[in-house]
Amino acid sequence: MTLEKLTKRFGATVAVDGLDVEIRPGRVTGFLGPNGAGKSTTMRMILDLDRPTSGRALLDGRSYSAYEWPLRHVGALLEAGAVHPGRTGRNHLLAMARSNAIPVRRVDEVLELAGLGGSARKRAGAYSMGMRQRLGIAGALLGDPPVVVLDEPVNGLDPDGVRWIRGLMRGLAAEGRTVFVSSHLLSEMQVTADHLIVIGRGRLLADAPLAEIVAGHASLEDAYYQLTDGSVLS
Amino acid sequence: MTRLRAAIGAEWTKLWTTRTVWWALLSALVLMAAGAGQYALYAGNGDLPASVFRDGLVPAGSIAVLALSFAQLAFLALAMLAMTSEFSTGTIRSSLTWVPARGRLLLAKCAVVAAVTFVTGVVAGLLGSLVARPLLDDLGTSAGVLTQSLKIGLYLAVLGILAVGLGAALRGPVLTLVVLLLLIVVVPPLLQVPDIAVLNAVADAMPGVAGNHFLEGDSPLVGLAIVSAWAIAAVLAGRAVLQRRDA
Repeated sequence: MTLEKLTKRFGATVAVDGLDVEIRPGRVTGFLGPNGAGKSTTMRMILDLDRPTSGRALLDGRSYSAYEWPLRHVGALLEAGAVHPGRTGRNHLLAMARSNAIPVRRVDEVLELAGLGGSARKRAGAYSMGMRQRLGIAGALLGDPPVVVLDEPVNGLDPDGVRWIRGLMRGLAAEGRTVFVSSHLLSEMQVTADHLIVIGRGRLLADAPLAEIVAGHASLEDAYYQLTDGSVLS
Repeated sequence: MTRLRAAIGAEWTKLWTTRTVWWALLSALVLMAAGAGQYALYAGNGDLPASVFRDGLVPAGSIAVLALSFAQLAFLALAMLAMTSEFSTGTIRSSLTWVPARGRLLLAKCAVVAAVTFVTGVVAGLLGSLVARPLLDDLGTSAGVLTQSLKIGLYLAVLGILAVGLGAALRGPVLTLVVLLLLIVVVPPLLQVPDIAVLNAVADAMPGVAGNHFLEGDSPLVGLAIVSAWAIAAVLAGRAVLQRRDA
């Protein structure tokens, strides 16, 4: 997955400023930055939800919407709220599967995988934040995609859930998939990510292996504060 | 083509898996039955205009058309909510990651809504006629009931497409409903009250009045063409907004 001079302006504000990076398969790439640094906007541009002002995001040389069945190439968890509260988790995934000609049995597989088997037939409005997050992750895995994009997947998960998602991401990367995950939990990234991309105010601050970024610092947290110093929005 | 079929399958599943659709359809049938009963009684009391009579008799299907002025509101709500709930619940972002082609997503939604409003519209037309016929007694006739019900279904299918397109263009339930009600319920009678030729002509070009000309008037094809033009314009506007705006 490559971002080529990816830029997004909202009026006078530059949310993402000429981001030029390559995200490789077979490892977990963490995406870090202060609130408002442009992480979510970047991920939304990867999925063609937001249109870049200039530049582009490519997956194996093609844009997301150029794929015949995009969910089979890229699985994404964006805000976990994007589920109709009146629809059951299973029906949500069923509609999702139909949209990309994914076999229905895959729905029950990912529900099981996400530990939602018991709540699958409850309406999503009754889900806890953690359950909505698990449903979102089940959706991201539905098409068995080689690329997985997760925006703050740990949000709302209990300790068991955090451990589960950590193992899941490591496992997906070990299978050779591209795992691109944003988080503001530095300690979590320190134990999960192999590689880090750090942005601040839309600009690239670092693109290096975790070990390289942490080297010479007591922790990722120290390294991060030094990197983002001056780019935190006040 | 396979992608459009898949998108339609997803929209079909989405439509039937919330409660909105059931409430809307139930309301539509109740409004139709109640309205048809009321108008049939009016006919019995001699309170209907002469234009309703055909050869001295009141066709039951025409009573269904009169009752449609109430029932169509429930169909409009169903069609409009199928699109605008995507914005009010945030599911539009899910839908667009599943089907990134904006035009295809909108087309799939229109197809599903039109199919549902057509079939249930025909059913509603038959129901209204069925309620009206016995109440009309020897004043009524069953002639043309099937044709009239099919026309009601077709009108509601086109109206459904109009509501979906407008919902995509305006991106929210409140504004969409207000505009639909203005176009179909509020503005036409205001234009018609003074009975001035120019204002009447403008009213004739509004979707609800044109629909009425299609269902009951002497130039049905012109009426259908006008409603269809509204629907096409709404869908084009909706597609343009979906393509231009960030989700």
